[in-house]
Amino acid sequence: MSKESTTHFGYETVAESEKARKVGAVFHSVARRYDLMNDLMSVGLHRAWKRYAIDISGVKAGDRVLDVAGGSGDLSRLFASRVGPSGEVILTDINASMLSVGRDRLIDDGMVNVPVLQCDAEKLPFPDNYFDCVSVAFGLRNMTHKELALAEMQRVLKVGGRLLVLEFSKVWKPLAPLYDAYSFKLLPFMGKLVAKDADSYQYLAESIRMHPDQETLRDMMLAAGFSKVDYYNLSAGVVALHKGWKT
Amino acid sequence: MFKPLLTHLLKHLVDQNGWAKAELLPFAGRAVQFDILPASAVIIVLEDGGLALAGEAITPEAIVRMAPTTALRILSGDQAAHRLIDIEGDVELGAALAQILRGLSWEYEEDLSRIIGDAPAHELAALGRNIAIGIRRQSWNLAEMLSEYWQEEQPMLAKKRHVQRFIDDVDVVRDDAERLAKRIEKLEAKFATPSTNESPAV
Repeated sequence: MSKESTTHFGYETVAESEKARKVGAVFHSVARRYDLMNDLMSVGLHRAWKRYAIDISGVKAGDRVLDVAGGSGDLSRLFASRVGPSGEVILTDINASMLSVGRDRLIDDGMVNVPVLQCDAEKLPFPDNYFDCVSVAFGLRNMTHKELALAEMQRVLKVGGRLLVLEFSKVWKPLAPLYDAYSFKLLPFMGKLVAKDADSYQYLAESIRMHPDQETLRDMMLAAGFSKVDYYNLSAGVVALHKGWKT
Repeated sequence: MFKPLLTHLLKHLVDQNGWAKAELLPFAGRAVQFDILPASAVIIVLEDGGLALAGEAITPEAIVRMAPTTALRILSGDQAAHRLIDIEGDVELGAALAQILRGLSWEYEEDLSRIIGDAPAHELAALGRNIAIGIRRQSWNLAEMLSEYWQEEQPMLAKKRHVQRFIDDVDVVRDDAERLAKRIEKLEAKFATPSTNESPAV
């Protein structure tokens, strides 16, 4: 009998087949309070980070954009206003609860022209060379096979297309003790208080620590077939925005 | 911290100068480093024709270097100062991006009008322009006054005609010295060769 491959779920080691289900449970639990918690946790900075990602994307009117693991649809909404009626933005997420929150918010904002699709980032149901830009914001960290997901995103990009990965990263060293205290003490407490779910926010803090740092993620993107990768440290490296070009 | 802010400002500038996007689009995805010591920044052209500060891992394809004084001369419209720009790497890319950046102008009156309204913005901008013109005029007056003082009262600077006369005098001295050197050469040659007309001693 062959031993099943394992992966990490925060600091836990779990079977690969288990990770998606456990991550799904986390996001199902926090979906309803996701935006409020994001604002509280980042003191509203997540909006600035996302806006910066849009600025750096170079997306223009008429472009096709895929928002992977887009959850509550923050990026999709910003992209949709950029591409205009001649462009196309598709919002995807593996988690139905998050996706329904995103879909409802898009409809509430009058953005009925953004298709919403539940799918796995490791098996994207799109043809090769289709999108001008693919984005994944705070989603790559939760994927079981990051290399596969990156390769898929590279596949669906047109030549000249860009992948934007916005993700928590390695913070500037002098700030690390403060950041650790915040992540492991205050964050679960806030999660318990606001989202009634301390465990999910404990997972968030742990998964950030397990996620590859800036240079490692850059190497992974290069290995996935991107010809050039640049990254921007935001808020002293709390978050990094990676931009990879397919040529 | 400053990158998002500067990138936003660059984006705003390019948006205000609509012509620049079309000029920048052929260079999408390419980066140029600008060194105006002690400041240095790598600017990347975005796929929508915008500009942004590049990230931590980009290698610029060209480096444009200039002294801060050269940058000031270029900003004040001195065409001759362009020759003092040093471009390394992809010269065409560096020169094109430097040219486009030079052409960008800030429509501050428009920005101001969004905050305080059209009429006050126009008045404030006009006041600002008048102050700038006044400062420029006063600076010229001061410079002229100082140059006159240092030329006439306390001669530290040479007048153009004096410099020209000095250059002409140097030319005359050089020509005279060359003629003298030729003459000495001829005389030396003459005395070094024994004369064939001399009669033998008896």
